Amino acid sequence: MSTNTPTRTTKTDRIPRTPEPRSDGFAVDGSDTSLGTNLPQRMGELLWAPMLVMALMAFAAAMLLGVLRADVVATTPDDAVRLAQLQHVTAGVMFIGFTAVLSAIAFAIARILGVFRDGGGQLQQATSGHVQTLKMPASAKLMIALMMMGMMAIIAAVIGHFVVAAQTTATADLLAAEQAFVTLEAVRRIGVSLHLVAIAFGLATIIEVLRFQAVRIGELGAAPRSGGT
Amino acid sequence: MTTIAWIERPPLTERPDAQTWHRNTGVAIAGLGLVIVAVAVAVNFTTAPAVGGGSDTAGTLAGTFAASTFGLGVTKIGIAIILIGIVLSLWRRVNAVGVALPALRAGTTTGGPRPATGEVDTPYGPASATTRPPEPLSIHRMAELLWLPVLAMGAMALTVGLLLGLWTSSLAGGSEAFRVASAWSQGTLFLGEGLLLSGISFLLGTVLSSLRRGGAEVQESLGVSVQTLKMPATATAFIALMAIGMMAAIVQFVLYGVAATAAGDPAAYAVWVSWLGPFREVALGVLLAGIVLALASIARALGFQFHRLRQLAV
Repeated sequence: MSTNTPTRTTKTDRIPRTPEPRSDGFAVDGSDTSLGTNLPQRMGELLWAPMLVMALMAFAAAMLLGVLRADVVATTPDDAVRLAQLQHVTAGVMFIGFTAVLSAIAFAIARILGVFRDGGGQLQQATSGHVQTLKMPASAKLMIALMMMGMMAIIAAVIGHFVVAAQTTATADLLAAEQAFVTLEAVRRIGVSLHLVAIAFGLATIIEVLRFQAVRIGELGAAPRSGGT
Repeated sequence: MTTIAWIERPPLTERPDAQTWHRNTGVAIAGLGLVIVAVAVAVNFTTAPAVGGGSDTAGTLAGTFAASTFGLGVTKIGIAIILIGIVLSLWRRVNAVGVALPALRAGTTTGGPRPATGEVDTPYGPASATTRPPEPLSIHRMAELLWLPVLAMGAMALTVGLLLGLWTSSLAGGSEAFRVASAWSQGTLFLGEGLLLSGISFLLGTVLSSLRRGGAEVQESLGVSVQTLKMPATATAFIALMAIGMMAAIVQFVLYGVAATAAGDPAAYAVWVSWLGPFREVALGVLLAGIVLALASIARALGFQFHRLRQLAV
């Protein structure tokens, strides 16, 4: 254990922890008690369900708007302004749903990582009195960054759709509305792609955590029951 | 060597921290998907100002739509590969726990009477206690059997959809042939996306199955009662949403086929595609919502496992 490294506390859990060197390359913090969950994991615990509900509501609303637009196409196909408005609003509402459901997946992954961190810490605390907690891997940081980028891209596109829908009031606006739709569709797609890559990084983090836990539990079994590590 | 769900179970002799190629390969493939989408999106940006002008942009946009949807599918394939790595890592963890737990339990309850069986209340919901590991759930068996064929079908549909999309882009925009090709391309691409998400859902079901089987295996090896968490409501809802989403993905494919038969009448075709667009996206959204619930179920199962491990180790 490194004794020269200063002990630090965080605002969130205020539990003293010290970086500890390991020969197998895992970067860990050592502490006497479980560190519990970190802020992103607590956010995941709190937000996955509301995001899911929001997504389901948005999908239902977007489907209704799609049916409404189909009705306009069937009954008053010459009302191009209304059709353009509905096209933009439907896409906007649909992608509120997509950013919400993709964020819910990322939050659910963060929640799983929180269960690993808290559960692993409590098990170590109970069996050896000393806890090693994996530091946040780069893949987890990338997950957070990419998820935020994806969310911002989609929200920007959604706002764009609503603004264009509001500004499309006459036949003269139709061309600009059509061009804007193509651009905003591209922004939405890159947003979804960023979200998905964020999820990939989140799942990759789970593999890293599982590897560390498998090693650590072996160490617990090998160490004397009352001793630290 | 035991095989679990098309996956070879890691042997007990394997190092617990063994690196799995699935992690890096999956991330790389997911990144490749992002690159494909980025290229398609860049073409979209450059094409947008020409929309409504003299040139025929419909073909270009059909091509970029197909390419970007394909790119999203490639990222999903990367995610599926990482999930296979998670299943392998879970079994390595089971191996490690199986070796370590008897040592941790030394001097605690070894030799005591066998705990009672029946219903058990836990902080993570009701569980059943049995002397032997419970039979695998039929939904778990189904997930273990189907994830690979469904993923393979999804990848094939996605590739066919991409080829159809590229063919569409070579046709004159506004022609009947263009509408027919466009309908089949969109339907096939979203069928592929739906199947890929279903394959991912089945892989998540396999993760849940591995948690259940691995936990039971470790408990049985210790000679204690085997406590197994009952299926939580989130898991039941996951199955329902997955089934609805998968059916909707298939239905949209069939309906795009119907729309293709109406391509000779532009007005009727326009009605079809105006509501099929949102419908196909809702199908994917429902599958994604199911995935959220699968992950929530995994979190609950893991929480229960740690609870049980603490009970057994202390």
